[in-house]
Amino acid sequence: MVSSLMQAKEVTKKYKRFSLGPLDMEVEPGIVIGLIGSNGSGKSTLLRVLMDVLKRDSGHIKFFGQEWHEDDVEWKQKVGYAGEILDAYGFLTVGELKDLISRWYPSWSNEQFETLVKRYKIDLKEKYRRCSKGTQKKIEFIFTLCHNPSLLLLDEPTAGVDIVSQRKMKEDLLNFMEDGEKAIVLATHTVDEINSICDEIVVLESGRIIHSFNKDEITENWARIWTSDIGENVKNHPNVIQYYSNPCQIVTNDLDTLEGIIQKEQITINHMQRLSLEEVLEFLIDN
Amino acid sequence: MKIPIHISEESREPIYHQVETQIKTLIVGGQLPPGTSLPSIRALASDLGCSVITTRRAYQNLEASGFIKTAQGKGTFVNETKNMNIEEAKDKIAYDALEKAIEQGIQVGCTEEEIRTIFREIMKNNFSQ
Repeated sequence: MVSSLMQAKEVTKKYKRFSLGPLDMEVEPGIVIGLIGSNGSGKSTLLRVLMDVLKRDSGHIKFFGQEWHEDDVEWKQKVGYAGEILDAYGFLTVGELKDLISRWYPSWSNEQFETLVKRYKIDLKEKYRRCSKGTQKKIEFIFTLCHNPSLLLLDEPTAGVDIVSQRKMKEDLLNFMEDGEKAIVLATHTVDEINSICDEIVVLESGRIIHSFNKDEITENWARIWTSDIGENVKNHPNVIQYYSNPCQIVTNDLDTLEGIIQKEQITINHMQRLSLEEVLEFLIDN
Repeated sequence: MKIPIHISEESREPIYHQVETQIKTLIVGGQLPPGTSLPSIRALASDLGCSVITTRRAYQNLEASGFIKTAQGKGTFVNETKNMNIEEAKDKIAYDALEKAIEQGIQVGCTEEEIRTIFREIMKNNFSQ
């Protein structure tokens, strides 16, 4: 039986002007979850609450099958989290920061650190604060990988990062997933990352999970069809996301169901085309 | 390592089946000879923009029908041809392709006789000396 690496149940966190949850989420080994949603939808807050950087108001969180006490740090040894939390140490050089962080992790690999520093051309003598936004992202990313984690929680890891390094990060994440036993939760705004890294997609809106599905369901269920006609029954159908009347064109999130309806109405389908992931994500985030 | 397959935007076929059929076609057609190393399920999913659940399913089916084999820790390879039913696969691939073509003909309004004429002409172009 596959046991989940992380499981959240009815987790909430309230602020004056924003509240997260209650939400449930499960991360299974071998799976990359893309966490998407517009700015301010609660992606970063969710990751911080999961990491216990922010205290939740209520709910249960299990890591590696177990609910941990707030003094326990053992579970954090196996989680790599990148969420822009190093600013407080900005006065340190990257090398000093490494010395500090590596001490927290018995499983830290200096060899891997050296390799990655070279791969991403990081200057260890530079003060963290003085590094560009993209370089800071790369440094955080490197830190999350060097202590042999089983689970990565990454908050927009490639934001501001140059194209070549983005490609390298993608490669490193795919390699990380190669043995099929680890998992990643990736908060991102980059369609390409969702397309080439993620297996499942979780959409957040105003602190709540409004959609959660396997990525292939998009390809199999969403479609744009061109039809001979379009009746009121079709226009008002809940699986019709968008329609135009002249020429008749329908976007649906459930092709099979809609085909049944259309056949009953004696309308013919002239053409069918799958939607791109990008189009669907826009519909999902902007509904 | 990339292999030349792609997911159709216009097909109703499930993705795992498209991947399975296209890899089978490449193997039967000799483009992927026995022993060729195939991308991992993760790498293939990344190239195709689908999930590992889909690529795993395609590989499991291909393995069950003897087309590929997985060696623990070494990766996935094209199997020796003696382990697969090539004749049956050839028939199936050709049959499905013709069926699809005929369906398209019907969709644009061809009559049976028109489709027969087209079929005969294509056959003549390909098989007459």
